[in-house]
Amino acid sequence: MSMQAREEILGRLKSARKNTPAARPAKPVLSEINLDKEQLLQRFTSELNAQTGAVYQAKDKEDAVRILSEIASAEGLKSILATSADIYGVDIRAFGSQNNISVSTVQDFSDRKAFRESAFAVDAGITSADFAVAETGTLGVIFYKDQPRLVSIAPPVHIAIVPVDNLYPVYENVIDQVFDNTDKIPSQFCFITGPSSTADIKGVHFKGMHGPVKIFVIFIMTGGMGHENSNGPG
Amino acid sequence: MKNELSQLFLRLLCSGFPIISQMALSSFPDPEAAESYSRSIRAEVLERLPELLEEFEKKAISRGVKVIWAKDAAEANNIILDIARQKGVEYVTKGKSMITEEIGLNEHLIKNGINVYETDLGEVITQQLCLPPFHLVGPAINVPPEKISDIFLKNSILKEPTTDPVTLGKAVRTFLREKFRTQEMGIVGVNMAVAETGTFINVENEGNIRMNKSSPKTLVAIMSLEKVVPTMADAIHMTRMLIRNCTGQKMTSYVSFDTGPKKADELDGPEDIYMVILDNGRSEIYKDFKVRDILKCIRCGACMNTCPVYARIGGYPYGFTYAGPMGQAINPLLFGIENTTDLYRACTLCGSCKKTCPAGVDHPFLFLEYRSREVRRKNAKGNRTLLSRLDNTMATISSFGMRHSWAWNLGVKCVRAILNSSSKDGYIQDIPFGVKGWFSCRDLMAIPDRTFHESWKDLQNEPVPLADKNNEDVI
Repeated sequence: MSMQAREEILGRLKSARKNTPAARPAKPVLSEINLDKEQLLQRFTSELNAQTGAVYQAKDKEDAVRILSEIASAEGLKSILATSADIYGVDIRAFGSQNNISVSTVQDFSDRKAFRESAFAVDAGITSADFAVAETGTLGVIFYKDQPRLVSIAPPVHIAIVPVDNLYPVYENVIDQVFDNTDKIPSQFCFITGPSSTADIKGVHFKGMHGPVKIFVIFIMTGGMGHENSNGPG
Repeated sequence: MKNELSQLFLRLLCSGFPIISQMALSSFPDPEAAESYSRSIRAEVLERLPELLEEFEKKAISRGVKVIWAKDAAEANNIILDIARQKGVEYVTKGKSMITEEIGLNEHLIKNGINVYETDLGEVITQQLCLPPFHLVGPAINVPPEKISDIFLKNSILKEPTTDPVTLGKAVRTFLREKFRTQEMGIVGVNMAVAETGTFINVENEGNIRMNKSSPKTLVAIMSLEKVVPTMADAIHMTRMLIRNCTGQKMTSYVSFDTGPKKADELDGPEDIYMVILDNGRSEIYKDFKVRDILKCIRCGACMNTCPVYARIGGYPYGFTYAGPMGQAINPLLFGIENTTDLYRACTLCGSCKKTCPAGVDHPFLFLEYRSREVRRKNAKGNRTLLSRLDNTMATISSFGMRHSWAWNLGVKCVRAILNSSSKDGYIQDIPFGVKGWFSCRDLMAIPDRTFHESWKDLQNEPVPLADKNNEDVI
């Protein structure tokens, strides 16, 4: 049935009158590409803040654990699911034991069903983010074996850790890296900008529709953790 | 429109949205350049459509996606029903998708024993209240919270009555989390399909589409065939334009890019992705060179937000899935120009839709073309009725009058006398040839006996009074 439909549909499309596509105008310029590192960080922060997301700058891995503890205590977190026990050098298990929080990591699961149950049960998901985009305070996350999709969408709180070297001006900087090497295109890639939201009833806007209610981004400010070290599908 | 909330929403939307959208567009150093670039992408898509679809299909299949073509609504509905049956699922969850509204997928699945849960908050409400979408982006934005509360209580989504939008939204969150936690099959629409990589893209705020693309083992994506774009770079530019014109945001909460099903070692994501490419009349539209520009439409809804007609009547009176100018432009081609005359005639041709369209659709041109085709159809041999003959005779007489001033003046004299013969106390409340409908709620002032030209001639012969001359100086 579908082969016949395909032939019929494409046949009709191909039989239509053709014109040569007109030349495109120049690609529009984006002002963000001129921002320096500090401006990028400022822009990312103000854009994400506008979406109620919180942005932290951790001096180093230890500082990141301190910030995580701060967030955990403010949000009353009791259980978390992390994509790894070591996210860009940040010791998630140490953070858990210091704060009396039950920590599970993706590597603890081999069963899809058990993993899904856990993702919907925990108070927060902690993930790495492969990229941050200053343009709109956006995270770029590649999904693969060690970074399943549900960790950043099912729990009510999402905490993302990202090296500041992975902060780029515009989406194109990121998209080129994710899609240019056709052998390494991930099954899913996602831009995340703030918590989930809606305004479908009376136009009243609120955060936390189906995905996270809150989002926290921790930049690791130590240099040398650049793009080469970024997590990603091998 | 008795619903006050509908009226308020329309007032706010049409006065406020264009400003919000312009503010978002001003994040481009040159918004006009951004707009002309997105229009050029859509124009190129149209010229290269078959080639781009084949490239997308090839790349998607190479990534493990099962691509299925569907000629029409019935075929698409059956394909999706078969998948649900094969997988043995009891229910499916759905992301917001206009194309599934167009083909009536929900009704088909439910009729055949597969339960359907809409997951976009607005769609949850319209599904439960059996309402058509009021607006492309906010399908239930006009529904009073009292009504939502009642139906949620009735369907056990809510325990206590409330009119607080946030509490109502959170009740749906709790209700649907359970479905997401156990779901086996999700259905989503597609905002863009990228030919270069075989990737499909979804743009959303609520996270329901990401849930549908992450939690279940089976994912069905359905797209109408014009959704394809050449490259990932084009997709990114179109995403920027879509979002700014759709919700007035610079970026939505989530933009997800799927290239094939999950890899074997991944813990979530679909094991099977079925991509249904739907025609449903579009390949015929494509062959119709004069009107095929409507296939450039990216369903952002910007044309609705700026349309003075939509601003008065809202989405319901359009009577089809697609409302506003884009609905007036596409519905006649999907359902027949002869069946949809009210749609393309209910337009003042102000051109606001065309001006705001980031895809470069010329709506007024299409409306004029449909009007002209309909007139020609009605006048074709065999289609003429007594009314259309009368219509033609009247037009011929008027045309003669307009070309000959003596005939016009004579006609005007006669018509005056005939109309005024029915006047009473200075008003005409009826006329001899029975256009009763017109007079049912309004009167016409009696027409002066002398024409303007006659009165003007008289004035020329009268001296101007002195007092009036003084007044002229004061003015």
